[in-house]
Amino acid sequence: MGARRILVTGASRGLGRAITEHLLAKGDVVYGCSRGQSDLSHENYHHFSVDIGSDESIKTFFFELRRATRSLDALINNAGIASMNAFALTPPATYQQVFNINVQGTYLCSQKALGMLRKSDHGRIINFTTVAVPLQLEGESIYAASKSAVETLTKVIAKEYGNFGITCNAIGPSPIDTSLIKGVPASKIQELVQRQAIKKMATPGDVINVIDFYLQPGSDFITGQVLYLGGVS
Amino acid sequence: MPGVDIQQIIFDALELTNHAREDHRQIVISESTLLFGNDGVLDSMELVGLLISIEEALLDEGIEVTLSDERAMSQSKSPFRSVTTLTNYIQDSINEPAS
Repeated sequence: MGARRILVTGASRGLGRAITEHLLAKGDVVYGCSRGQSDLSHENYHHFSVDIGSDESIKTFFFELRRATRSLDALINNAGIASMNAFALTPPATYQQVFNINVQGTYLCSQKALGMLRKSDHGRIINFTTVAVPLQLEGESIYAASKSAVETLTKVIAKEYGNFGITCNAIGPSPIDTSLIKGVPASKIQELVQRQAIKKMATPGDVINVIDFYLQPGSDFITGQVLYLGGVS
Repeated sequence: MPGVDIQQIIFDALELTNHAREDHRQIVISESTLLFGNDGVLDSMELVGLLISIEEALLDEGIEVTLSDERAMSQSKSPFRSVTTLTNYIQDSINEPAS
């Protein structure tokens, strides 16, 4: 088996960066994208500047991606933004931005990648949700709603494309110390952690473990699943 | 688009469909094969798979067309009825891309 070709969105920092570095260390070829440039330099890393919240930008990106590769083994829809605000105070612009990146971005990247993933013997789509969905966290209405949509997309894509040899699953991390939660007060994070079965912060390694599981050829029969970290259900 | 054999691309995509089918359900591939609708050989998801395969093959040739957009759905007669109608529809889509 040759090196896997994996597309990671939101690859330049945080969890996406950790996932990208892990895959590169395993010998995979990674096509990463983020809004800006990446300072990651590796012979098997190819970076693209993309606004995942823009359909036009995604269209241009996939056109450019095709020049680099005609097939993909996996798409990891990691790019996402969070937003904390009381529902009554959340402006429409925030709603639009969160849904454009989290939902539309996942939808469009998955749709555009289908044909390329179909060329793989073990095509994978891995989406990102959050424990804020099952915990129905106050202050995260729009963010959690967007990730609920991602979960439903995950399950329907799994059903529609299972016979195409493409699995689609999601991972729902519990709080990890990344830029996504840098604006959230420490007390709020601790309150959330205390609602988990395992009451501690997750690490990027915990997420990578699940990604490795979804990616491995032995997981051909695992699809439409949402796996939360920390014992949240 | 010179040099691109649309009908052959459709035949290749149908071969891929056959790979996913059991031996007794193999599609007999020819110019007159009825694809979708009355007496068509494909179910709706197989049609989706066929269109993805064709779009992918065209992209490999540097041609970007969307075959399942409103334009296809709004035709009085479905362009997906047969290999012949689909060949003509793809040729038209390449010559007159949707705005």
